[in-house]
Amino acid sequence: MRSISLYTERNTVIHAMDPISKLFYILFALLIPIILPSIKVSIVCVVLGLIFLLVARVFKKTIPVFSFVFLILLTVIIIQGLFRPGNQTTLFHFGPFTLYKEGLMFAFGVAFRVINIVSAFMILILTTKPSDLVESLVRKGLSSKIGYVIISVFQIIPEMMSSMETITDAQRSRGMETEGNLQTRMKAFLPLLGPVILGSLANTKERAMALEVRGFNSKGPKTYLLEEKKYRYSKVVQWGILLGIACALAWRILV
Amino acid sequence: MKKIIVENLKYKYPLSEKLALNNVSFEIEQGEFIGVIGRNLSGKSTLCQAMVGLVPHFYKGAYGGKVIIDGLEVRNYSIADISLKVGIVFQNPFTQITGSKMTVYEEIAFGLENLGISRAEMINRIDFALNLLKIAPFKERSPFDLSGGQMQRMAIASIIAMKPEIIVLDEPTSQLDPEGSEEVFRAIQDLSKQGITVILAEHKMEKMAEFCNRILLLDDGKVVDFDVPEKVFSRDDLGEHGVNAPVYTRVCKALNKKKAGTNDYPVTLEEAVRVLGGMGL
Amino acid sequence: MKKQGLWSLRLSTAALVLIPTAVGINYIGKLFAGLLKLPLWLDSIGTVLASILAGPIVGALSGAINNVIYGLTADPISFIYGITSLAIGLAAGILFYKGWISSWSKAIVAGLMIGLVAAIISTPLNIGFWGGQTGNVWGDALYATVLANTHATWLASFLDEIVVDLPDKLIVVLISFGIFKGLPKNVVQLYNTNNKVENLD
Ligand SMILES: Nc1ncnc2c1ncn2[C@@H]1O[C@H](COP(=O)(O)OP(=O)(O)O)[C@@H](O)[C@H]1O
Ligand SMILES: [Mg+2]
Repeated sequence: MRSISLYTERNTVIHAMDPISKLFYILFALLIPIILPSIKVSIVCVVLGLIFLLVARVFKKTIPVFSFVFLILLTVIIIQGLFRPGNQTTLFHFGPFTLYKEGLMFAFGVAFRVINIVSAFMILILTTKPSDLVESLVRKGLSSKIGYVIISVFQIIPEMMSSMETITDAQRSRGMETEGNLQTRMKAFLPLLGPVILGSLANTKERAMALEVRGFNSKGPKTYLLEEKKYRYSKVVQWGILLGIACALAWRILV
Repeated sequence: MKKIIVENLKYKYPLSEKLALNNVSFEIEQGEFIGVIGRNLSGKSTLCQAMVGLVPHFYKGAYGGKVIIDGLEVRNYSIADISLKVGIVFQNPFTQITGSKMTVYEEIAFGLENLGISRAEMINRIDFALNLLKIAPFKERSPFDLSGGQMQRMAIASIIAMKPEIIVLDEPTSQLDPEGSEEVFRAIQDLSKQGITVILAEHKMEKMAEFCNRILLLDDGKVVDFDVPEKVFSRDDLGEHGVNAPVYTRVCKALNKKKAGTNDYPVTLEEAVRVLGGMGL
Repeated sequence: MKKQGLWSLRLSTAALVLIPTAVGINYIGKLFAGLLKLPLWLDSIGTVLASILAGPIVGALSGAINNVIYGLTADPISFIYGITSLAIGLAAGILFYKGWISSWSKAIVAGLMIGLVAAIISTPLNIGFWGGQTGNVWGDALYATVLANTHATWLASFLDEIVVDLPDKLIVVLISFGIFKGLPKNVVQLYNTNNKVENLD
């Protein structure tokens, strides 16, 4: 079965880390630039994130996501540089437009913050199997039903996509026009949407019954077939991150 | 020992005007293999689901009478409680996959995890179920990467691992190719040999005649007959109830050949050969 | 048919299983918009359907989980907009409960209201994250124009968001309502958690 997850299997320290610790790191990456809003701090955070991605040997996998992000950041830099309210210090002119320093600095701030947050999420996403993440969260107290729901999406989406493709292929082989102008494409795909959606809703009833008769709503405590994954140094890493955040706060207040 | 007692069971789905089950009563002994037959919409699936508590707990609706499974009155217990006694397998092998497990092995564990079975016990039961259903070779595969027959046997194994004393199968082969159906029928026979009480709703009458101790004939939500296969399939009014007798019975009926010393026609190939053998065929 | 309690937290299994399906429908809508190269997202049809069928809680969960999954599988930024999806689910569920999605003309109003809610929730997120933009070409062009002329970041950002959200949510609600009307009664009935078993004895 096709997988829709971005998880990339590698044998690195980052992969071997507790998913919860990676969530802590996301919190760190979100909070630090807010607590210490200087561009130097942001740069340090970005470099840290990139180092982790390199250590996890998944840097290449980040390129599609980053190129999309950079495209938007480019427009942010242009728009803010030109039009940001409070722009005063002219950097240079081109044609009727003037690029200002204030807007540009603001845009760089945005860019570092975005890259920082995106890298932190990428560390989690690229190096953690979704099922491991959910299992860790369930063992930490997330409702096992919500856990079930999240995991099952990973299997249900490819299933729905392939039934969509089967129908699309059938339409094509029947000579249905699937390329061309909007109206032709509408005609080709609109009739597909209804049956796939109705079919998937009808399936929910059967799947719900199948779950019910397998004790899904059982009241007692659950057990697990797979033994709990042991992650080393989880406590140290997590307390370390919290300590880092606390230090940043102290710095902000005292200095 | 009476394993299942159904008394004046009446059931109406929500928003429906009509009784899907109308005053159904019967009793089933421990270890019996019971067939449920009847035309489409006669109430077979509703009856199957009433055995495991999906009717009425899952659908709600209007309910009367009693279903007592091994001493538990279905109406007063949750589906999870009843699942310890009775398991059910449905038509569509795809929608029975939980969608949350990576391998066949883990898929079978799903119910056991919910019931809080210890790991050691879980592993024992899963291995037993894998072997009984002959799917041990695929245990590391993704549940979706199986043929229809294998998937359906995985669904049965998932139920069997929960160690129910009764298993209900609602047209388990209707969406399978002939090869897959054959695999599943063989598996069901194996279950019965283990002493499990089996209730099977099915349209393949030759199989029903071969396997079943007794057959329950439903029409319009009512029990028409509940008797051994020879009696049920020898009825003159079968056609009026939308059911065909097995092909052997029909041939013998056409030739007016009854089983020696009885008023019944043969229902299996063997019996038919025995009866017709005398004609020098 | 009696209506179910609006805020019932007791999720039936049927309602829970509706959530992954809703996320799948969202994906299909998004795929569909992509195939047709429409300038819309159409990625909340499942969320709105889930709200209509099973109430605001299930709708909100569908929305939030949708973005978690999308964040894990395609675009990490979508985590942040999970709050918007959650609000769309809540709004659709409440509007339906209040009878605001019961005819085509009402559905138009409801669609616009949901679009407004989405824009109101997204604007601060856009400001905090991107400095006000959305990443949508047309929206951002408007943002630049408004910003250049009024120097009002919030207004520009809000307009940026709403030019895409209003038409998108309008069409999403209309499609969802159309599908809902086409559903068999016993499918719709399945999610009604308030029913009791009636006695026939
Ligand atoms: N979910 C449902 N809601 C309303 N009516 C139903 C539902 N399922 C089945 N019925 C009705 O109950 C009756 C019995 O159906 P069913 O048990 O499915 O029969 P069978 O399995 O023999 O084909 C039919 O009249 C059918 O229309
Ligand atoms: Mg049936």
